[in-house]
Amino acid sequence: MTQHAFLYNSKISKVLRNINQVIVGKDEPATLSLVALLAEGHVLLEDVPGVGKTMLVRTLAKSLDCDFKRIQFTPDLLPSDVTGVSIYNPKELEFEFRGGPILGNIVLADEINRTSPKTQSALLEGMEENSVTVDGNTIELKHPFFVMATQNPIEYEGTYPLPEAQLDRFLLKLKMGYPTAQEELQMLEKTSKTHPINDIEAVIDKEELVTIQREVKEVYMDQNVQRYIIDIVTGTREHRGAYLGVSPRGSIALMKAAKAYAYIHDRDYVLPDDVKYLAPFVLAHRIILTSEAKFEGITAEMIIEELLSNASIPVRKEYS
Amino acid sequence: MALFSSSKRQLVFRMSIYLCGFFLLWEWLRPLETLTDTGSLSAFVLYTGFCFIISVLNMKWWLSVPLKLGGLLFVLDGLFISETMFSKGWFYLLYLHLQYNFEMISRQNWTEITPLFRSLLFLILLWLMSYLMYYWFVISKRIFLFVLLTFIYLTVLDTFTAYEANTPIVRAFIVSLIALGVSNFYKELGREAVTFTGLKRVSAWVLPLAAVIAFSSLVGFAAPKLDPQWPDPVPYLTSTSPDAGFGEEGTGGVQKVGYGEDDSRLGGSFVQDDSLVFQAQVEEKHYWRIETKDIYTGKGWERSTEPEYNLTSDGSIDFDTIESTVETESLQGIVTFQSNAFFSKLVYPYGIKQVEGEEGVNYLVDDQFGSIAVEAPEEQGIVDQYQISYDKPSYSIDLLSEAGDEDPQAIKDDYLQLPEDLPDRVGNLAGQIVSEEETRYDQVKAVEQYFNRNGFVYQTEDVAVPGRNQDYVDQFLFETKAGYCDNYSTSMTVMLRTLGIPARWVKGFTGGELASASDDSIEGLNNYKVTNSNAHSWVEVYFPEVGWVPFEPTQGFSNPVDFYRDVNQEEDSPDTDEAAEQEEQERPGNQQEVGADEDESAAEGDANVQFTDGWNWTVAVVAAVLVGAAVIIYLTRYHWMSAWVRRKFHHQQTPQVYQEAYLFLLKLLTHKGMGRQEGQTLREYAFQVDKRFESQDMVRLTHQYERMLYRNETDSAQWGDITELWENLIKRALS
Repeated sequence: MTQHAFLYNSKISKVLRNINQVIVGKDEPATLSLVALLAEGHVLLEDVPGVGKTMLVRTLAKSLDCDFKRIQFTPDLLPSDVTGVSIYNPKELEFEFRGGPILGNIVLADEINRTSPKTQSALLEGMEENSVTVDGNTIELKHPFFVMATQNPIEYEGTYPLPEAQLDRFLLKLKMGYPTAQEELQMLEKTSKTHPINDIEAVIDKEELVTIQREVKEVYMDQNVQRYIIDIVTGTREHRGAYLGVSPRGSIALMKAAKAYAYIHDRDYVLPDDVKYLAPFVLAHRIILTSEAKFEGITAEMIIEELLSNASIPVRKEYS
Repeated sequence: MALFSSSKRQLVFRMSIYLCGFFLLWEWLRPLETLTDTGSLSAFVLYTGFCFIISVLNMKWWLSVPLKLGGLLFVLDGLFISETMFSKGWFYLLYLHLQYNFEMISRQNWTEITPLFRSLLFLILLWLMSYLMYYWFVISKRIFLFVLLTFIYLTVLDTFTAYEANTPIVRAFIVSLIALGVSNFYKELGREAVTFTGLKRVSAWVLPLAAVIAFSSLVGFAAPKLDPQWPDPVPYLTSTSPDAGFGEEGTGGVQKVGYGEDDSRLGGSFVQDDSLVFQAQVEEKHYWRIETKDIYTGKGWERSTEPEYNLTSDGSIDFDTIESTVETESLQGIVTFQSNAFFSKLVYPYGIKQVEGEEGVNYLVDDQFGSIAVEAPEEQGIVDQYQISYDKPSYSIDLLSEAGDEDPQAIKDDYLQLPEDLPDRVGNLAGQIVSEEETRYDQVKAVEQYFNRNGFVYQTEDVAVPGRNQDYVDQFLFETKAGYCDNYSTSMTVMLRTLGIPARWVKGFTGGELASASDDSIEGLNNYKVTNSNAHSWVEVYFPEVGWVPFEPTQGFSNPVDFYRDVNQEEDSPDTDEAAEQEEQERPGNQQEVGADEDESAAEGDANVQFTDGWNWTVAVVAAVLVGAAVIIYLTRYHWMSAWVRRKFHHQQTPQVYQEAYLFLLKLLTHKGMGRQEGQTLREYAFQVDKRFESQDMVRLTHQYERMLYRNETDSAQWGDITELWENLIKRALS
């Protein structure tokens, strides 16, 4: 349809096909995870155990021919278990840095709310700064760097919920949801002999991924679409149900995500449709509700829904 | 096959709905014949039908417009123009008419507009209506409003006018039910996507509808009905209007219109009274004379002597009002008095020859005042029916012009009387009016026409009564300039007398309204109903060798008798009658129908001005045409606006125009009930529209528009596609 110069666009669909082979009927979380990956953001997956959170990340990592690391967060995990430690090497007679799992390209932070805030912040700092400090030395993280954290919203005993202010380190917050009966049946059939994850192959290498991330930034966003984003974001700040609205960081996040989403759909410009679709995933976890709103059962998703149905879509351009 | 039957079925539905529309419109036209002076109604109805047929055939405009225009000219030719159609003279005549009428309109001289032009406007209105009805009934399928308006129209006419809507309302009810039923079914078919394989299956639905309509009509017709719950609003409305009469003394106050014996004190307002006085079965409508009066007192009219009644043998009557030089036509008729209307004198037409009633009734004739009294045996009561034979006169204008002014002494003695204290300014005014006229006929016409041009107003309310030292004529001519027939006729008579022209004051009735024929009516005769509101007075002027000739000075009324001009003579001596000729030229048209012309433009009864006044009628038609045109322009705004945008789109392929066209499409879709919600993106909306239209066009068009709007680029190669998609969508939305 269009003649834009995207090189690796076709590879995106291959990744999605891979994921679809392993996890049945999870197109939406898969696509959204890719959005975060391409927009150089991170994802927080929130759902009950066993719905395929970890499998999704593993499939993604395997499709990408990248260095994949996994951290299982436990209450006794130390920050150094995340970032790495300097160990004395008797042969060389000096300390030697042994990198932790955060030094991978794709990091799965499983059950992030089970560890102490100290350890959590070690990870979150890395996500924010793209570097970690160990024993006074700053160590650059790898590029590309993509964190998928999961958390279980059901168990509260012995958990340390992430501080709200830190939640906006994540570009998107997703839910997996249960598969339908049909999908589950299909899944049982697929996994009865060998797990399909063993059959998939990497389709994108590291260099290609970096190129794609650069290309995503080239996606065009018109001023009237940007204004649409601002409309929505300022709406959250003025909404009576919101104690704290979305920060400017949220506007940027929404713009980046929308560009990546357009890229995935083989478009070199952003539509209001992209923004409208992504807004709940990008913005919901950035809103802090008032206690009255919570009491009335209002959720952040409902607020965004309301704002979206009222925000006026740009349908005309001013020609001078 | 399925496709064929579906389009055929559509055509049948369209035709039946539209046919119902035609019948409803017909109900609008019918009352015109009764209430206005519209003649040849059938021609108008035929033209309406013609326009409807053209509309339903869905022709291209370049075919339908010339056809309708041709039909219009054909009707005008048949009604008004005697020349061969499309001949040189024909065009010239038409041109003269148009020129004259536009001039009159520009001068706001509404009363002077000719019948041809009024008919032209009316035909254009019918043309517009046929289109409007097509739009309402077939395109937008919204017919309820028109149905409702039809009922309101009929009921209002029934309440406030003489029009009897008993049968029309039943007809309109049945037609409306059919139309509503069919259109509802038609809509339902579209909405539910029900498919009938053929026309036969439709009977499954047509039969119940027919049954329901028949049943409800019958129940409505047969069921007992309540009497009116409110009193008749007409007397109520007239009684609450402010009463008139500001005389210092005299009769003053409000009188009821009608015929009365005592005319010694004229003036004051009156209220309408539509009660029937008599019915006349005659061939043509004409005035009904009762008597004349000769003495003007300054306040009203009296007789110089008591009437001398002579018994007539065998009912033959010979009033010597006209000489043998006047052309006449022998006619007959029957007059039937309403049993509760007591009259001691008979009404009769000009040229009465014979009266024949029941056995034993004697007719007493007073020659001087022209009254016929009856003397019936005690046991028989009053006369209620009698036959008349009469020689209807028509006057030659040439003869009148040549009549001269040598009046017999007896006439001069009786009909030049004036009160001593008549202000001089009355005579002076009369002198001014006729200063440039030479013949008696021209002088009389000048006085007759004077009232039309000098700010006189016809009204029946707030009419003054002369004060103690005031003259009735003087007050009307110089102070009030507002009044009804008595004011006009008395003033004209008195002014003529100041000029030395013998004239007298006549009382009677105007021709009444055409009514449906009664059971015992005679073939070839029309039945006219004459009510108290038709009571009237006018003027007779004496012309030597011709006799007494009636004239009509009252505004909105036309001279009751025919005047004609001998065509050959006119050509022979064009200079003999300059003034008269000038008047002829003011009214282009068939030269021989001057009288008839006037008849159509003017009115009927003294009291029915609202519906019969030529002035109002013309203004109403002009206004209706303008309003009709405005309504059509408004209703079809999306049609012509889309044509406009399409034109622009073809000529100018810029993003701006594309945006304008796309936004116009959104507006049109919103108008058609497919509006976009505030938070709905164009793409979501396009899907919704396409689902409704079962197409891909809107999504494709929107993709292009999105590129322009959100990518800031246009692909000129796509331009042809875009135009085509847009036109498809517009067509679909408008259909």
